[in-house]
Amino acid sequence: MTQTKKENAYLDGDDLRHMILEACSYFDLHKESINALNVFPVPDGDTGTNMGLTMRAAARELQQVETRSIGEVAAIAAHSSLMGARGNSGVILSQMFRGISRGLSGKDKARLPEFGRAFQYGIVYAYNAVSKPVEGTILTVAREIAKGSREALQTSLTFIDLLRVAIDKGRGALEQTPELLPVLKEAGVVDAGGLGLVVFLEGCLQSMLRRADAKNEIFFMEEREPPLGTMLITGKEEGPGETLSKEEFNPVFPYCTEVLIKGSNISTRKVRCNLEELGDSLLVAGEGDTVKVHIHTDHPGTVLETCLFFGSLHDLKIDNMVDQFQETRPGRLLPETGGQGVTAELETKLPAGGKGPGEQKDPGQIGVVTVSSGEGLAAIFTSLGADQVVSGGQSMNPSVQEIVEAIVALPTEQVIVLPNNSNIRLSAEQAVELVEKEVMVVDTRSVTQGLAALLALNQFQSLSENHAEMCRRARRVKTGEITYAVRAAVIDSLRVEKGDIIGISNGRLLAGGKEIDATTVALAAAMLTPEDEILTLFYGDSITGEQAQALQAQLVNKFPGLEVELQYGGQPLYYYFLLVE
Amino acid sequence: MPKIKIVTDSTAFLEEEVLERYGIEVVPLYVNFADETIKDGSIDNATYFHKLMHSAEVPTTSQPSAGDFARVFERLINSGHEVVAILISSGISGTVESARAAAKMIAPARISVVDSLSTAGGLALLVLAAARAAQEGKDREEIRALLADLKGRLKVFFVPASLKFLKKGGRIGGAQALLGTLLQIKPLLYFSGGKIEVFDRVRTMKKALARLVNELPATSEGLELFLMNAESGANIQRLKELILQRLPGLPIKTYEISPVIATHVGPVAGLAFIRQTQNTVPGV
Repeated sequence: MTQTKKENAYLDGDDLRHMILEACSYFDLHKESINALNVFPVPDGDTGTNMGLTMRAAARELQQVETRSIGEVAAIAAHSSLMGARGNSGVILSQMFRGISRGLSGKDKARLPEFGRAFQYGIVYAYNAVSKPVEGTILTVAREIAKGSREALQTSLTFIDLLRVAIDKGRGALEQTPELLPVLKEAGVVDAGGLGLVVFLEGCLQSMLRRADAKNEIFFMEEREPPLGTMLITGKEEGPGETLSKEEFNPVFPYCTEVLIKGSNISTRKVRCNLEELGDSLLVAGEGDTVKVHIHTDHPGTVLETCLFFGSLHDLKIDNMVDQFQETRPGRLLPETGGQGVTAELETKLPAGGKGPGEQKDPGQIGVVTVSSGEGLAAIFTSLGADQVVSGGQSMNPSVQEIVEAIVALPTEQVIVLPNNSNIRLSAEQAVELVEKEVMVVDTRSVTQGLAALLALNQFQSLSENHAEMCRRARRVKTGEITYAVRAAVIDSLRVEKGDIIGISNGRLLAGGKEIDATTVALAAAMLTPEDEILTLFYGDSITGEQAQALQAQLVNKFPGLEVELQYGGQPLYYYFLLVE
Repeated sequence: MPKIKIVTDSTAFLEEEVLERYGIEVVPLYVNFADETIKDGSIDNATYFHKLMHSAEVPTTSQPSAGDFARVFERLINSGHEVVAILISSGISGTVESARAAAKMIAPARISVVDSLSTAGGLALLVLAAARAAQEGKDREEIRALLADLKGRLKVFFVPASLKFLKKGGRIGGAQALLGTLLQIKPLLYFSGGKIEVFDRVRTMKKALARLVNELPATSEGLELFLMNAESGANIQRLKELILQRLPGLPIKTYEISPVIATHVGPVAGLAFIRQTQNTVPGV
């Protein structure tokens, strides 16, 4: 490659679009390996899923546009990835897109130095997304990539070289993460978000190499080599990156089906059980005589026949989401989040507290958006005055867009957001910046902290007074979770095997064993102190009421003087949530 | 200058001895069971609570009639007095309306009807302050101004053992929002603008009592405080201990609540207090 060639080299909108689409596809092949890099061996390793969904949100929009301007492509990627951002790593990734977009703003094409500078912007934005950057995370990896690529810009001749250097530096930084962050070292893993970033760049590189072949242009002159960095991903075959075709984005369940069932004493649980296997994004809400169903399915007819069993059908609506999607302008609702609006609508109709069943708050009041999964927990949140329950939590982090929509849907001008998971906080904070309303995020790290915080909601106090009091309450309670280990691990000097039941409290592994009940009792024993008065047990969707009651009786026996309250949470993956006050 | 007589209703639930000392007149509300109507305060609390808790029927309560007030007002006016009537909040009872109608009939220029925006211990604090002012020879306007000032600084908090009675009684105001609560909570209620509102929600009685005490001023200077009790002896005892820890030596008087109020809140522990300032009448 010669100097002349370098000077002529440029990237246009098509190149960037393909790069992102292919990186997205490549990322999907590796996301499970990224998910497996979880510090705690709990079934909520969402980093890979979150980053993948964030990229996919960008990829979806990019498929809809024709532009060849690199500035416009970057702007669309930035906006759509932010709206679709899930989890802290997803938000950080979306901020990187935002920085790149700023660097490429107004450009049709970008030469190497321009692209390199945009990339630097990306890293700066990613850094700024986090209020207290922690070393040993995705940010360390991002920074080292930025440093490395800055040097490369002075010496390297091609975009491909630039990416290679970036990946190489990223990998080096990634290997250092366990040294910087003790929890990683103890768990024997590298930072999942950091690996996600490296994998993303590898996907970009693949796209570059492929297009070099196709375009046969001057700046793609080198031999193809296997992408660097993949050796970090163990147990995964390195698949050839495939260009994302339209078909791949077709949902498995393309028909969004909504129906109102009218009957008598309809059991929402039975309806749910019968519909569960027919699709996804299932929502069954209502009570008694009227139940609303929302499902994404490939067989709407079967859904309707099944519903007919419970009563008469009304307000039928079946949409092909692929059609809908093509009509959707950029930046609008993504099909997979289409159900969220329905959730919001239905949940405000559930009998609850606040202003009373079905009543909306006044515009002058303080609205509350909370994140939780499980119908029991949603009902409890609603009964305590939450107006919108965004579905999500350990198993699936909601996107920024879902949180934005929940905030916007409220009639109130002031809103409190309870993310209830440390990995949702950044998304919530990004959502705050995207809405016109006055919104404050309470840093609740579990649904139980969220409930404790929500108890303090007082409409006679200002938003900031409420925020301060809610933060205080959230910190004051002790919370615990019972789930299972997804892999063997030694943490906090406790050894657990894959499949063991584990008890975690405020970020520490306190109990492990083969039985749910015994482990829960052990966790409670580790958490409780003499001044504690009440233990509230929220049982998950895999636990029956009888099982939960038996455990409640055991706890009452074991801890005399302690009040044990039992509530149905309905959360997936977690057998029990514990709240100690 | 005509001497001022203070009139209140039975929900202030002041002791006989206090009523006599200040010459305070009381107009009772009523509790209605299917087969009998009881004048508030005419039955002792233990007996009443037993009846309330064991009766399948939910009694209703009713305000005094305008005639009930008219008879009292007429007697006092005819004996040459002026009247300040301080009554249960118009936010939860129509008593003030009855009294106003009666005042109009008898002598509107010589009777002031004051809406306490409170009841029980809170009403009692206002009535006592007014009675002391009357004894000191303050005129009707001065007493009205005093009450307006005190009302603004009166705080009344209470923790019902359950929301069952408030729900049945229907005078629940903003506490309505608590009825759908799935999680077991101890609601801290208070009077705000004459209505019962939710002050806070905590999970246990111990926390609720601590939260009540937290609302007290940091020193006992000029502080007058009543505890309010219905069937909550242990909680009242604990509340007393907590208050004395914070404000050692503070005189604490415990009042029972009247059957009419008990009908609406059930077993309850609460406190009412006013912080006197220099331009208000010091405590006795």
